[in-house]
Amino acid sequence: MLASVFAKTTRDRWKGMAIAMFSLGLLLWMVMAVYQDIDISVYSDLPEVFLSIMGIPEGADVASLAVGVLYGFYGALTLAGLAVSMGSSSVAGEERDGTIGLLLGNPKSRTNVLVSKAASMLLLVGLGALALWGAAPLIAGILDVRMGGMQVGPYALHLFVNALFYGFLAMAIGAWTGKRGLASGVSAGVMALGFVAVGIFPIIEGWENVAKVFPWYYFDNGQPVINGIQWGDLAVLMGAIVVLAAIALVGVNRRDLRSHNVGVTLLDRLRGSPLTQKIVDRLAGATRVSRISIKTASEHQGLLIVSAYIMFFLMGVLMGPLYGLMDQTLLDFTKQIPEELWAFVGAAGGDMSTAEGFYEAETFGLMAPIAVIVVTAVIGARALAGEEQNRTMGLLLANPIKRSRVVVEKALAMVVYAIAVGFSTFLGVWLGSVLGGLGINVGNIAATSLLATLVGLVFGTLALALSAATGRVRVAIFGTVGAALVFHLVNSFASLNDSLAGWARVSPFSYYLNTHPLQNGMDWGNGAILAGLTVVLVALSVVMFQRRDLRQTG
Amino acid sequence: MTDQIAIHAEKLTKHYGDVRALVDLDLDVRAGEIFGFLGPNGAGKTTTIRTMLDEIRPTSGKASILGLDSHDAAVEIRRHIGYVPGDLALYPNLTGRDTLTYFANLRGGVDWGYVEELTERLEADLSKKVGDLSSGNRQKVGLIQAFMNRPQVLIMDEPSSGLDPLMQRAFQTLMREVAADGTTVFLSSHTLSEVQRVADRVGIIRRGKLIALEAVASLRSKAIRTVNLYFDGPVEASVLEPLPGVRDVKVQDHHAMLSFDGQMETLLKVVTERFHVLDISTEAADLEEIFLTYYRDDEVVV
Repeated sequence: MLASVFAKTTRDRWKGMAIAMFSLGLLLWMVMAVYQDIDISVYSDLPEVFLSIMGIPEGADVASLAVGVLYGFYGALTLAGLAVSMGSSSVAGEERDGTIGLLLGNPKSRTNVLVSKAASMLLLVGLGALALWGAAPLIAGILDVRMGGMQVGPYALHLFVNALFYGFLAMAIGAWTGKRGLASGVSAGVMALGFVAVGIFPIIEGWENVAKVFPWYYFDNGQPVINGIQWGDLAVLMGAIVVLAAIALVGVNRRDLRSHNVGVTLLDRLRGSPLTQKIVDRLAGATRVSRISIKTASEHQGLLIVSAYIMFFLMGVLMGPLYGLMDQTLLDFTKQIPEELWAFVGAAGGDMSTAEGFYEAETFGLMAPIAVIVVTAVIGARALAGEEQNRTMGLLLANPIKRSRVVVEKALAMVVYAIAVGFSTFLGVWLGSVLGGLGINVGNIAATSLLATLVGLVFGTLALALSAATGRVRVAIFGTVGAALVFHLVNSFASLNDSLAGWARVSPFSYYLNTHPLQNGMDWGNGAILAGLTVVLVALSVVMFQRRDLRQTG
Repeated sequence: MTDQIAIHAEKLTKHYGDVRALVDLDLDVRAGEIFGFLGPNGAGKTTTIRTMLDEIRPTSGKASILGLDSHDAAVEIRRHIGYVPGDLALYPNLTGRDTLTYFANLRGGVDWGYVEELTERLEADLSKKVGDLSSGNRQKVGLIQAFMNRPQVLIMDEPSSGLDPLMQRAFQTLMREVAADGTTVFLSSHTLSEVQRVADRVGIIRRGKLIALEAVASLRSKAIRTVNLYFDGPVEASVLEPLPGVRDVKVQDHHAMLSFDGQMETLLKVVTERFHVLDISTEAADLEEIFLTYYRDDEVVV
């Protein structure tokens, strides 16, 4: 398995892909089982406009609906996320690990290394898409449900090409900059924003074509799941992939490779400028290293700035005026659709006839928890396991500090950052509401932002606990992302089936938007449960970290 | 050096699954001594250090530093120690000064005058980001952080790694100075010439077991030496080979060269009784030879 760069990369990565696809298969089984007990004719007989808004194809049956909902959101994000992880690691990852010099000490060119990594990504993402294709009829067969009305094969092909686009985007950024974090962050950001934009712009009169700027548009614009392969859309994505691959090749061959993992932060840049040197020298120097929590926070400032910006400006301020531009007739339709039906297609919220419903669906439904989870999970995962992986934990703990203090200070940095993202969301939505003249209650915006912060913190502290228990960054990150997807899905679908309705309460997401805080105000009970879960997970992290041997290497 | 025990290990054992990394290690290091801890790669040196520092927990047995249990009083112990881990890693995005400030803060402050003195002596550059430094210059930052709180016990795993010969000398002088002031130095190293130069005693570990524990001078006196004998006439190797402690005899005309690990007095007595010896010279074994001898032998020596 170590015969070539291609073989080694594939060996390093296949397990993650296999676990993710197996998990998606299990989730598909669960969703199909939930749908199996529901009389879907009630829904499929609805007017065409309802079905169109919700993305339900005419004549869809149980298995097809399950596949469409699960693959269209969870499957697409997972496959693309794994491709981003592989793409960003291709050369930048070797640089971060300090292995690029050794690798290129062999008779292999940079081009050869990049092409090998790209080939491995193609293979694994392809196998992932094939697995999703095969899983649908297999599970439908096991559960003995009929499958019709949807074309899973063409859908899998679109999933494959869509994921590759983001993988190659990450590869190109990584190849040009040597920065793995930047490559994965920008690619994931483009993906998330595209996902939201493709949902919003088509219902704004005169702005429909803006959606075409976002790559996600070409994934399911032509509804391949109903209409089969959309060669035009695929051609756009594949053309972009070829361009990105070429950019990556040029980039990796023209720049100096990085031998150490030294990043230049905003504070570092300001420290180097004569104008700001004096004050920033203190801020980036003495202050930055004054406590473990402050140092931890300083290491993730880029992530915070990007997340806070997206939530403040794009998902907050901009949304208010956009709402006023939307086709009100279409929005009014959404009011008539029962809430259960929105849950039926896995939507976070549905009634967009009010500004509160709109913000709940677009800003708070997915993006706010994702933003907080991304920030907190990265801090949580890297807090302990990252120091062990970088071999600095031994030196840190050679100082007279308890392991519990290390955990608590790292958790403190996470809480501060979660609050910062939550507060940015609050400010953005409030400003958006004012600018759009929407009149959303400020207290309710604060309540919803607080709950988003808390639900994000639950998953951030879960990453911390996994980091504390295993000392492995990847386990902590992928474990947390996996848990977030599963709990989101449980919350969305369990309520559809009476016998499973109780299970929805297992999901932290059920304590977030289920009481519609943007319209009804703070649910302190839910807030207390989420805060309590956070505290329990931090305490668990302390216990786990105190009990085990430190890992010597990553 | 005093008779007080600074580092104590009792039946210290660490298993990783079926791998016995450390087996019943008994060890006492006296306060104020420089103790060299030797062993080949994977012998258990780093495991011993990591266990003593509570980074990993022993499967059985216990260790103490300055009379404090290595696990129960781990935090208190760390107030009094300086540590340089093997394969030192620091925060690449911090400058050397920021790195030292960080660790100084975690210790509740250090004497910055002393930090400046150490920086000057080791010719360290604290203005650059650690990630931009060469491995030797990075090592200097690691050494300064270990010495800067004037610890009672210094635990160092391959501390001169990456240092140039001049800096190695400066570092050895520093070690001797702090030891003279009462600091205990636990020095795990592959640089045997360095250990020979500075250590009072050495412990040799092999496959997780301590196989020798002696003063460097005593080890050397017991060790195999190369003896050159010059006679006034030809001599046969077969005459010298049966003598106790003699091995590897090579004879060329009037000159015999042999390896000897017995009492020199006995050798001289026997040889001078039988032959007329014109000249004699011995080459004292250095630590490397002793080390290699221990590792060539299958039997445990102590």
